[in-house]
Amino acid sequence: MGILVTIGIRLLEGMFAIGAIGSFIVLVLTGIEDFETLIGSGDSTHTEESAI
Amino acid sequence: MASSYQPGTPSNRVRIVVATSVMLTFISYWRAAAIVLNDLGSSAFYAAGIAEQAVGKSAPWFIVAVMLFSFTVRAVYVESCSMFVRGGVYRVVKEALGGTLAKMSVSALMFDYILTGPISGVSAGQYIAGLINDVFVTLDTHGWVPRAVHAMFHGTPHVNVNWTSVVFAAAVTIYFWWQNTKGIQESSEKALRVMQITTVMVVLLLGWSAITLLKQGYQPVPLPTGHNLQFGHEALGFLNHTDLAHDLARKFGLLGILIAFGHSVLAMSGEESLAQVNRELAHPKLKNLKRAAVIIAIYSFVFTGLTALLFVMIIPDSVRVPVYKDNLIAGLAMYLWGPQILRLAFRAFVVVVGFLILSGAVNTAIIGSNGVLNRVSEDGVLPDWFRQPHPRFGTTYRIVNLVVFLQLFTILASRGNVYWLGEAYAFGVIWSFTFNSLAMLVLRYKYKGERGWKVPPNIQIAGREIPVGLASVFLVLLSTAIVNLFTKSLATEAGVGFAAAFFLIFTISERANRHKHALAEQHLQEHFQLLQRDTVDRGGLGIRPGNVLVTVRDYNTLNHLKWALERIDTKEQDIVVMSARVSQFGAAAYDLSTEQIFSEYEQQLFSRAVNIAESFGKHVSLLVVPARDVWSAIVQTANNLESSAVISGLSSKMTAQEQAFELGRAWEAAPEPKRQFVVQIVHPDQQVDTFRIGPHTPSIKSEDVHLIHRLWLNITREPGLDKLHHHDVVTEALTRFARDYAGRDRQDILRELRKTTGKTVATRAIGGDGNKPPARQDDDVARKKDDGPPSPPVVGP
Repeated sequence: MGILVTIGIRLLEGMFAIGAIGSFIVLVLTGIEDFETLIGSGDSTHTEESAI
Repeated sequence: MASSYQPGTPSNRVRIVVATSVMLTFISYWRAAAIVLNDLGSSAFYAAGIAEQAVGKSAPWFIVAVMLFSFTVRAVYVESCSMFVRGGVYRVVKEALGGTLAKMSVSALMFDYILTGPISGVSAGQYIAGLINDVFVTLDTHGWVPRAVHAMFHGTPHVNVNWTSVVFAAAVTIYFWWQNTKGIQESSEKALRVMQITTVMVVLLLGWSAITLLKQGYQPVPLPTGHNLQFGHEALGFLNHTDLAHDLARKFGLLGILIAFGHSVLAMSGEESLAQVNRELAHPKLKNLKRAAVIIAIYSFVFTGLTALLFVMIIPDSVRVPVYKDNLIAGLAMYLWGPQILRLAFRAFVVVVGFLILSGAVNTAIIGSNGVLNRVSEDGVLPDWFRQPHPRFGTTYRIVNLVVFLQLFTILASRGNVYWLGEAYAFGVIWSFTFNSLAMLVLRYKYKGERGWKVPPNIQIAGREIPVGLASVFLVLLSTAIVNLFTKSLATEAGVGFAAAFFLIFTISERANRHKHALAEQHLQEHFQLLQRDTVDRGGLGIRPGNVLVTVRDYNTLNHLKWALERIDTKEQDIVVMSARVSQFGAAAYDLSTEQIFSEYEQQLFSRAVNIAESFGKHVSLLVVPARDVWSAIVQTANNLESSAVISGLSSKMTAQEQAFELGRAWEAAPEPKRQFVVQIVHPDQQVDTFRIGPHTPSIKSEDVHLIHRLWLNITREPGLDKLHHHDVVTEALTRFARDYAGRDRQDILRELRKTTGKTVATRAIGGDGNKPPARQDDDVARKKDDGPPSPPVVGP
């Protein structure tokens, strides 16, 4: 039981850590895009107008 | 002419044109940002206090982290809004995750919305009660409290903060219950004003805090390390009974951070409102949505994030949590550098701003809940009974009643405890965000339609796109939501109980409605042919210019349709029967689907309208338009269809003059080119009030015509003026009048006009702004017993 709890906690911590690193990248990339949006230099490189 | 109804051919289905583009008054991204910030910004008033009680003095760093993370959650909402989908949250999530998870998602969202009201109301009450008590203390310090009052309270007069908050929250909720029952139109103007006032407060607060830091120094905010975390007894929830409760930080360093983060997610509550304003944004929609999202994120980071740090830096430990935990901004105001009277005045300003922004959030909660429950009811997940319109106001009052009942119950159950409410609210917030991001993640693979933007980064592996960014945001949300389940015992019990109850209601209703819904679907298929049109135009309806638009809402009051059918020869002039499907501002994240716009109620309404037309043997065209504001929808439709007249029944809550005034105001706000038209309001006793909308030739009394003629005669006798026309006399008179009105004689003119207006039929300005002098209802067309629609049509300017 104790091992299962530990594994569960480590799993949650892993999810959080990986997610936090990925979210930081999202923050940086969208931050650059936000800056472009605010100074009005057009749409971002991530914009896709076509269907996927 | 393409008519919707063809008598004698029962196999022909009734054709209804359903306009899918909402008749909206589009708003700028600044206004959109203001609306969202009214909800999101309100968290600044209570989130930091709740977080510090849970995790200790380093809580501000977690609030800052949550505010930074909110930038990424915002990106998920931007992606969700950029998808061209219709049908509301339930339908969209159902498409991604299936019926069960969709019902769970909507239940969590409902919990979020319903809790928004009580926490905002109670928090506003805390600020007000706190101010009252501090004013009493200040008065008592100066000896300004009478002895009798002192004796009555056995000391300094005071109010019970928590119960005062309960009373205040209940009063505000009841007030907005009545407003929503009546069907008030939420205004973006109001939201903008509130945010302008809030911005003044934020600037003053930050500026004054900077001066205070320079003058008085500051106390450091402990870094968010495991050792600095001091979890309160309630902050560990179910973990209190396990070994984990002891030395949590040492055993599981990151877990402690995760728990603390979970106790701070409340700071980004309100982010979901971004989706609610998407529909109303002006073109270019996606760009404006992004701009609004940036403004919202930066503003809330500065307001909620920085003030959270300032609370710990400036307010002494001895009073921060013990005294000001539920009204920290007020506490900050009291510990700024400067004279006490100035600080107290600023605190009063903080309370006023708090009252405005938090009360607005109470209303947003009712509107949001009403919108979500309307959508699920349309999808057969809630009994249709809930959507029956109010007999007088036409609103979905039963849903409003349910929402407000749950909110009042929550307020009373909380007994004014903001911490308890905040913990419970966080449950709804985190699970609602988690379900939304999961749905977006699944839709990356399932949804093949148009999508304007994606959360970056996305990498290609073996020709398959991996949504790294979206998955990362989802992982943070999911891990936080799971941890919160264990650490917020009260929230978990309340949230799971509430969500389970809603889930059960949804499931049972869906099963019970399945048969009925299938029958309604079949009825729709057999009797109606829905013609979907993006915009409203004559071509879509197959009608001629100069037609008559008859507005309908309640199938029990269609006398005005009969009145129109009696008088109009449909061979000469087409009749369009129009119903506006009104959804309140911020009531729906996605555009409605065709079936939702033409729901069971509209089926009944148009069946009656068609029966009436059939009894007259006349053709009518049928049209449904989704709209936010019924008046601008009528004006835009009349304009697009080149209608010469609009015929409406008398409203149960407005006079004919008020109805015409609202139409006139909508006409003034409509973009050019626009056409004039006549509006006729038919009373139940067949009396008719007629008004002209837009600039028009006024009715001139015969004595005035004689006066013009006499003037013309006299002037033409003057040398060189024999070729003068009557209209030259009027032009000269008006030019002089305008000059005098703009000059020194303005007051004299107004005095004279007031005397004149008092003698005649006084009505409000129609087709002009409210600041202009009142216009008169046309004397010759007012209250005519048997006045048919005008023909030939009135042509626009």
